[in-house]
Amino acid sequence: MGWFIIKRLGWMLLTLWVVYSVSFVLMRSVPGSPLSAERKVSPEIEQNLKRRYRLDQPLGVQYWDDLRRIVPHGDLGASLKIQDFSVNEIIAQGFPVSASLGILALAFALTLGLTAGIISAVRRGSLADFSMMTIATIGIALPNFVIAGIVIILFVFLWPLFPPGGWGRISNIILPAFCLGAPYAAYIARLTRTGMLDVLSQDYIRTAFAKGLSERTVILRHALRGALLPVVSFLGPAIAGVLTGSLVVEKIFGIPGLGVHFVNAALQLDYPLAMGLVLLYTTLLYVMNLLVDLSYAILDPRVKLH
Amino acid sequence: MTETEQPPALPSTQSAELQRYERLLAEAEQIQGISLWRDAWRRLRKNRVAMISLGYLIVLSLLAVLTPLLPLQPPRQQITKLAFQAPTASPLFIREYKIAENEPAENPDEPLPTQAKIDADGFGPLNWFDRSLLAARRAIFGEWCFNSICGRDRLGRDLFARLFWGARVSLLVGLVATLVALVIGVSYGAIAGYLGGRVDNVMMRIVDVMYSIPFIFVVIFIISILNTEDVKALMAKWGIDRLTVFFLVVGAIFWLTMARVVRGQVVSLRNEQFVEAARVIGASRRRIIFRHVVPNLLSVVIVYLTLTIPQVMLFEAFLSFLGLGVERPDVSWGLLANEGVEVITPVRTVWWMVVYPGLALAMTLFALNFLGDGLRDALDPRMKNR
Amino acid sequence: MLLEVEDLRVSFQTDHGLVRAVDGISFSLDRGETLGIVGESGSGKSVTNLAILGLIPQPPGRIESGRANFRGQNLLTLPRRELQKIRGNRIAMIFQDPMTSLNPFLTIAQQLTEVTMLHRGWKYKQALDHAVEMLERVGIPAASRRVNDYPYQFSGGMRQRVMIAMALSCQPDLLIADEPTTALDVTIQAQILELIQQLQKEEGTAVILITHDLGVVANVCRRVNVMYAGRFVEEADVDALFAQPRHPYTLGLLNSLPRLDEQRGARLDPIAGQPPDLTNIPPGCVFHPRCPFRIDRCPQEVPALTERIDHRRYACFVDVQHQARVAVKENG
Repeated sequence: MGWFIIKRLGWMLLTLWVVYSVSFVLMRSVPGSPLSAERKVSPEIEQNLKRRYRLDQPLGVQYWDDLRRIVPHGDLGASLKIQDFSVNEIIAQGFPVSASLGILALAFALTLGLTAGIISAVRRGSLADFSMMTIATIGIALPNFVIAGIVIILFVFLWPLFPPGGWGRISNIILPAFCLGAPYAAYIARLTRTGMLDVLSQDYIRTAFAKGLSERTVILRHALRGALLPVVSFLGPAIAGVLTGSLVVEKIFGIPGLGVHFVNAALQLDYPLAMGLVLLYTTLLYVMNLLVDLSYAILDPRVKLH
Repeated sequence: MTETEQPPALPSTQSAELQRYERLLAEAEQIQGISLWRDAWRRLRKNRVAMISLGYLIVLSLLAVLTPLLPLQPPRQQITKLAFQAPTASPLFIREYKIAENEPAENPDEPLPTQAKIDADGFGPLNWFDRSLLAARRAIFGEWCFNSICGRDRLGRDLFARLFWGARVSLLVGLVATLVALVIGVSYGAIAGYLGGRVDNVMMRIVDVMYSIPFIFVVIFIISILNTEDVKALMAKWGIDRLTVFFLVVGAIFWLTMARVVRGQVVSLRNEQFVEAARVIGASRRRIIFRHVVPNLLSVVIVYLTLTIPQVMLFEAFLSFLGLGVERPDVSWGLLANEGVEVITPVRTVWWMVVYPGLALAMTLFALNFLGDGLRDALDPRMKNR
Repeated sequence: MLLEVEDLRVSFQTDHGLVRAVDGISFSLDRGETLGIVGESGSGKSVTNLAILGLIPQPPGRIESGRANFRGQNLLTLPRRELQKIRGNRIAMIFQDPMTSLNPFLTIAQQLTEVTMLHRGWKYKQALDHAVEMLERVGIPAASRRVNDYPYQFSGGMRQRVMIAMALSCQPDLLIADEPTTALDVTIQAQILELIQQLQKEEGTAVILITHDLGVVANVCRRVNVMYAGRFVEEADVDALFAQPRHPYTLGLLNSLPRLDEQRGARLDPIAGQPPDLTNIPPGCVFHPRCPFRIDRCPQEVPALTERIDHRRYACFVDVQHQARVAVKENG
């Protein structure tokens, strides 16, 4: 298992390097300069600024310099657009916000999705099954921001239970977490249902019933584990998805997370910030997938890590 | 030479044997094989939800293609005094609003309305096909059109008409981008799976690495490149519009999963016993590929196709939200929904601008998802008789 | 009587229509007795026994009628909770495919102990000791160590032994073995059958052995029911059945079996035609479309499974033995 983790981390470093290179090339091939985008500055000042951010160097030199700065220290450099902030500081501020929103959304998605999925599968064909799966399909079929819009109209304006936006209080986080988690809850519900139905048709479930176990025991002890496997492998990409989904939700609810920076950095050619966010995202995705694989091995004794 | 041609008489035991085999043969002929597709279609037809979805999608596509023929208000006609008008269905039909004071005189020699006239009417640039549909519509319905049953937007444009015109873009984006992904993914996956060994390994590792690149960024980068004036001018010279590029970019992202799925299927098919069996009884390579491999691959691809279109449409909506999707004054459902979200204020609830585009998107994606599920159940032989 | 099944009818609603999987079956079983049920796949053997334990998923399945009296209780109408107390406790079951019948996610210990902990109310420690003991009895080497392994770490034959250990851990009155050897190698088959017989002798358990393999029946059972298209067509002692089959279907089954005492080169005679479509059962005797001894009466009337003069029970209008002798004479 140790060897497995080391190998995966090796792949991660390789991927990070590829991502770094691709992003570097892509960003630098966007015409225009980050410094002249909005306000006109005199050529002199622009030169000075360029020197300060080392943008006057040849691209090859910039590539290696950035890499050498990032690799040993994890120092992502200074933001070009957000004055007096380093990329590390921006991430340190925004990440906890996005992460707590994301974790709450996922927790909500898991609770709701698993419950609905299990009930649907066990009561297959019932009214409960039908209505829950209909709601789940709607959840999958609606874009995040439409859900957010409807929820805001309903619970902020028509029936003012929650504040429209902001950050810091519990009441601030509930609506965004719901909007962010809803599609995932829907997806998890469907995955759980399919997985559960699959498992329930297995011979060993019949064996379990033949042993005299109650339906509850059979489902929770014998069936759930197998049914969870597809959900677990979905969670890796889902966590990454929650991050990008929060792009929308954070924008609508005015939450000071990383989401806003994601788009702005790319649009305003804030090279260091964009690069930092890309690398953060890739690392996160990799670590999550690693965790998923590890938990897979824990859940299913037949899986050997290699 | 004089001997008459006569079949040699069979010994009696042999003839009994022969009869036995004839009997077996006759019996075998009575057993009717049902082809995969007929069988699948039979099962799909029994799936009510999937059939309703299929019907809905067919009707929707027809309506989208024939939109200019429908009695709708001009989608770009701005009537500022009616901004944010709530949905109204009484009367159901109204005459088109005229804003231009002095309309260009109708030229009886011109069979189709001129572009200038169309622009003035608020339809936007139309190609020949759409213009003839529009002419036909004028002939059939005159100036009568549906009232604003879905309300009006910030500029007083009719949402109902815009939903139909948006359907054209949304469906086109979903379909074409998915097809692009399909072509790339199927070729890549099939090649990797077919060649196998080291090549397969390397090709799939590349896919793995690409999976962990945050593609949202890639898209944002590419689209920002395309948004700059120089590139726009360059593209205009080559006759490429943003929509085309959008197809390519989105297709280039969604091919990854397709490649994995197809590759897996090809690899498993190569080792499948029925392929082995076909080879053993001497079926030609061609026959194996077309009788055994392609149908099995096709079913996976079709299912994946119906499940990817909704994803692409959602992605288009997401990009529209970021202002990177379809360019105004073109409309798509995503763009319309986003316009709705933008005008949400505590002062007035313009609910129809969120609800109707959302409903249009949801119903279509709903149908696509159900159809995809139905197809999967119908085509997956393991689901048989369940 | 330990178990008395009367007029059991089970049907399934499928895409193709209503399938009458079990169509009026009656049989009974004494303590310690071994009953064989033989038939082709799809003849309803498994459904019969799953129905007795209430393991038919409903819907699509439906128990249309019948009674299954087990020690004075009708299993078919018993509340679920009561039925659960019998399953795995008084009536245990082992299934065809040991590769899929054990839960791959749980250790053998977990799967064995839950039965006794549930039905006997034992603590884990006691249940574990018992599990190891049972594993030793069914011949698993190093049982105390292997009890912590997962099913995938066992071979097919070993898994079937584990299944047997699990089934017998509460000393049930009745063991239903549904094709227990079909998925196994021939040498292992013999071992498993021997094991079942030996344990049966030690515990006094009654056994219902479901199989399509007449050889297995000949080895293990005393009494046999032959099943065809959801009905019993013949019921007899094993020796009598093999010596003088009375139903044309039984005769067909025996003729399609290779025999040691036959000449080399003698041809096996398969039964003509296909098993019937259960959504559309032929009128009269179910077997008549495939029957070489068919008479005019067959398509019109269902022959009852009744006891005849020679104390044999079979559902046929024709004296098959007589007919067969005539046929042999004619062919010289």
